[in-house]
Amino acid sequence: MENIQTEKLEVTQKPSARSTKINLNILSVWGPPIIALVLFLLIWQFGTLLLQIPPYIMPKPTDVLAATIENWSRLVNSATTTILESVIGFVFSVLIGVSAAIIMASSKILERSLYPYAILLQTIPIVAIAPIIVIWFGSGMNAIVIIAFTIGFFPMLSNTLIGLNATDRSMIDLLSLYKASKWQIMWKIRIPAALPYIVAGLKISCTLAIIGAIVGEYIAGIGGGDGGLGYAITVASTTMEIPYLFACGIAASILGIVFFLLVSLFSKLVLGSWHESEMKKER
Amino acid sequence: MVTESTVVNKVSTQVESSQSVVRMTDVGKVFPNGNVAVNNINIDISAGEFISFVGPSGCGKSTIFKMISGLIDNTKGNIEILGSDMNDTGQKRTDVGFVFQDATLLPWRSVLDNVMLPLEFQKMSKQEKKQEALRALELVGLEDYTKSLPRQLSGGMRMRVSIARALVAKPKLLLMDEPFGALDEITRQSLQTELLRIWEKQKMTVLFITHNVFEAVYLSTRIAVMTPSPGKIASTVDVPLAFPRNDEIRTTHQFSDIVAQVSHDLKF
Repeated sequence: MENIQTEKLEVTQKPSARSTKINLNILSVWGPPIIALVLFLLIWQFGTLLLQIPPYIMPKPTDVLAATIENWSRLVNSATTTILESVIGFVFSVLIGVSAAIIMASSKILERSLYPYAILLQTIPIVAIAPIIVIWFGSGMNAIVIIAFTIGFFPMLSNTLIGLNATDRSMIDLLSLYKASKWQIMWKIRIPAALPYIVAGLKISCTLAIIGAIVGEYIAGIGGGDGGLGYAITVASTTMEIPYLFACGIAASILGIVFFLLVSLFSKLVLGSWHESEMKKER
Repeated sequence: MVTESTVVNKVSTQVESSQSVVRMTDVGKVFPNGNVAVNNINIDISAGEFISFVGPSGCGKSTIFKMISGLIDNTKGNIEILGSDMNDTGQKRTDVGFVFQDATLLPWRSVLDNVMLPLEFQKMSKQEKKQEALRALELVGLEDYTKSLPRQLSGGMRMRVSIARALVAKPKLLLMDEPFGALDEITRQSLQTELLRIWEKQKMTVLFITHNVFEAVYLSTRIAVMTPSPGKIASTVDVPLAFPRNDEIRTTHQFSDIVAQVSHDLKF
C-alpha cells in the first residue's frame, strides 16, 4: 500500500509550483545546446569573414542560407526522394528484421544456421556490395531502397533476437505450466518483453536508413530532377556549388534528426507506461 | 475377461487415491551431467493439507516442485497428481496453481489483465474471465487496484497479485516456491496470515517451499524436512497447532517445541 499513498501525495502537489518547475526544466534542458549552437554559428560566420576564406572553400552560414533559399525547390525535390527511399528501406528492414528474429528465436537450429550469415552480411562494407546490387536491380530507386534496407536490417535483427532470447525464464515456465503453445508464449510474453530492445533497434536503424539511402544515391544515383540528396551532393561538388553542398548535407542531417525524434515519440507511446527507459523520472 | 478385470483394477486404484493429492513413490532425479538432485522421495499428501518443504539451498526442494508441476521429468519412481499418473497427463493442469519467489508479473499488463492470464488458455467468455479475475483479486484484498500497473505496487502487493493469479483457475493444488522469501518481515507475517485465511476458505491443498523454520511451523499442518547431497526427505513433522492461527501462537511453548524439533532434524 505504501507506494500508492506516496504517489497520491505527489499528485496533490500545488499545480503552480509544478508548472514553474517544468519551465525551469525546459530551460535547463534546451538552454545549453541552443547557446552552444548560436556561438558555433557566430564563430563560423565571423571566422570565415575575418580570415577571408572564399565561399567555394568554406561558405559562411549566411551563404549556406542564401543557397538554400535560392535552390529551395531543388532541395525539397531531392529531400523528398531521399525520404521516400529511406522510409521504404527502413520499413523493409524493420519488417524483415523482426520477422527473421522471431523465426530464429523460435528454433535454435535455425538461429545457429542463419545468424552467422546475418553477421557476415553486416561485416561486408556496403560500398563493396552496392555495385552488385546496382547490377542486379538496375540503377535507381530499387537499388537505393535495397541498400538502405541492407544497412538497417542487421541492427533490427540482432536487437530483436537479443530481446526475444532475454525473456525472463520464469515467465516462460509459468506459461508452459498453463500449457500455452510455443506461439502463444511468443505472442503473449516474448514479443512484448522484447519491445524495449526492438525500439532500441528502431532508433539505430532509422538514422542508418538515411545514411544508406544517401550512400546508395552516391553510387547508384538517379540523375536529373528525381535525384536524392546524395546525388545532389555529388553534382554540387563537381559544379563547385559549395554553399548548396553544405545545404544538402545539413538537410540530410535534419532528416536524420526528425526521423530519430519520430521513432523516439513512438517509443514513448509504446513503452512509456511500463518500461524504465521511457518512464518519467518520478522521484 | 482379462480386460474386464484390469478395468476394475484401474477404477479401484482411482477410488483409493481420491483422497491423495500428491503421491510420490521412490522418486529420484539425476540431471544429465550426473548430479543427483533428489533421491528416494516417498511422500503421500492428502487433500486439504498445508505441507511445507523446509531445507537449505540445494537440497532439491525446487526440483521436487518442478517434477510435480511437470516442468521437468523424474528419472526414477512414480508421481501421481490428483489421481492421475504424471507420465500420462496430456490434459491441461488447470487444477494446479503456481506461485514463484518473484511475483513474475507482466510489467506491461494491468493487475486485472495479469490475473486473467491463466484463463486466456481456456475456453471462457471475456466477461466470465473478468469476473473470475475480480473474484480472485477480492480474495487477496486488491479489488481496488485492478487498473494499476505492477510497477506502481509494493513488493507485498505484487505478491498478492501473483497469488490471485494462481487462484483464479480455482486450483485444487497450489504450489508455492518460497513466495515470501524476498519480502520484509512485517509484510511477510501479514501475508502468512492472509494465506492461511485463503487456504481455509478455498479448501485446497498447499505445498509450500521455505527455508524459514518459523514460517513453516506457523503455516503448515505438516512439515517435510529435507537434507542435501543428495536431496532427500529426512523426516516429516506434524504440526498439531489449532486453526485459525494468529500472531500469539508464535510465542507459545508448543510452537517453539516444534521449531526445535524441525531445526534438530535439519542438522542430519
